Amino acid sequence: MSAMIWLHEDALRSDHPVFKAAGEGAEAIFIWDDAYFQREGYSLKRLVFIYELLADLNITCLQGETEQLLESYADGRSLFIPQTPNPLFKNIIDNLQKKHNVTTVPDIPLVIVPDDVDLRRFFRFWNKAKKSALSPSTGPLL
Amino acid sequence: MTHNPYTTFTPVKTTKSYESAVAVKALSPWADGEASPIRGDIHQMQDVLSALDPLSYSRTRNHLGGAVTQLSPFIRHGALTLDHVRNLAIERAGKKDAEKFVQQLTWRDYWQRLYRRNPDMIWDDVEAYKTGFSPNDYADELPEDVLNAQTGTACIDQFLEQLMSTGWIHNHARLYLAAYICHWRRVKWQVGAKFFLTHLLDGDPASNNLSWQWVASTFSHKPYFFNLDNVAKYSGADINTKFNANKDIAGSYEALAERLFPYMEPRR
Ligand SMILES: Cc1cc2nc3c(=O)[nH]c(=O)nc-3n(C[C@H](O)[C@H](O)[C@H](O)COP(=O)(O)OP(=O)(O)OC[C@H]3O[C@@H](n4cnc5c(N)ncnc54)[C@H](O)[C@@H]3O)c2cc1C
Repeated sequence: MSAMIWLHEDALRSDHPVFKAAGEGAEAIFIWDDAYFQREGYSLKRLVFIYELLADLNITCLQGETEQLLESYADGRSLFIPQTPNPLFKNIIDNLQKKHNVTTVPDIPLVIVPDDVDLRRFFRFWNKAKKSALSPSTGPLL
Repeated sequence: MTHNPYTTFTPVKTTKSYESAVAVKALSPWADGEASPIRGDIHQMQDVLSALDPLSYSRTRNHLGGAVTQLSPFIRHGALTLDHVRNLAIERAGKKDAEKFVQQLTWRDYWQRLYRRNPDMIWDDVEAYKTGFSPNDYADELPEDVLNAQTGTACIDQFLEQLMSTGWIHNHARLYLAAYICHWRRVKWQVGAKFFLTHLLDGDPASNNLSWQWVASTFSHKPYFFNLDNVAKYSGADINTKFNANKDIAGSYEALAERLFPYMEPRR
């Protein structure tokens, strides 16, 4: 059975590494969750911007409550999800992991530094990250 | 038969943002406001990338009319990676001339890392205020005149107006508004940050909240504030920087610091 991708608001493009990880034939979905948007306080402007990005993606768009919808729509499929710092999404992912096979996939990084790098002030971080930041990756150029 | 907990919809490409707004209103009738003239249009994004000029960016980026990219809403929603923009900038300008631009991209990476490390603390003060005030001295609500862009300080009202109508303002304007709300109006940074997240197309809890904390001094050594001369220096003729229309922010840094932070201890 092919996999399913939950493409959330942090990853609205069709060449996110999550697509490769999920393999061919995976169905990608976006969830238009009014309760979530309202909780975040998004104005119409923001929703229009998201809507317009979605119009450029060839994915399934569903309107409903995120966690409930993921549960029922996955219907036993493995789930692939772009990594996100969003605590609400992380919580949903934790819950899904109890019943489903879930893989989170990080995006292409800007800099490669140890995970425990000093983050107390930006310029300390910059000193550690500068070399990597100024080294172009071998990723595709449009 | 169980009831489906969802409906499907197909977003359509439109030629005008108000057409998208009509479609969004049909999905989410509760949503407030108008559409922005800045569109979620990938072709426009490609045009910006084609015109990217890291050297003129580094020379002019502090000016409200400078060569900044307005790519932030695309980057925020993952439609564009920092990696991709960096590669393009270095290809175009070379490492040396692209460095300032790449450093700005790295700010986003830095805030995201902090967020990933402590996702549940994004609304908490990282450190204590260094303003001489305690959190209780700051208001829990945004004053009505700020919400209505009628503070009586002309340039602040123009920045508020732009934020609320377009959802994007220049970094310097964000700094001015955040400082005005935190220090002149003595409102909690969390309240101002929430207001920004409602309106910004690039609204991001990490970049936004941690920048607010940098201004507030709960994530820096001292509060950030500005004066009218600074606004006049960095803005063009479209921003009203006349003294009579901006008295509240006029004055020397020393005089303003005494007024805004009367209990602040001098730094040793
Ligand atoms: C109070 C305050 C609130 C802010 N809120 C947000 C926010 O919610 N979302 C957001 O993306 N940025 C935020 N910023 C950071 C910065 O102002 C914007 O990223 C920038 O102005 C976006 O415009 P641009 O795309 O033309 O940036 P450019 O100057 O062209 O920079 C290119 C890209 O680099 C990144 N970048 C540049 N400067 C910064 C910075 N200081 N911090 C983080 N990323 C940066 C952005 O992704 C930006 O698109 C905030 C800054 C302040 C002072």
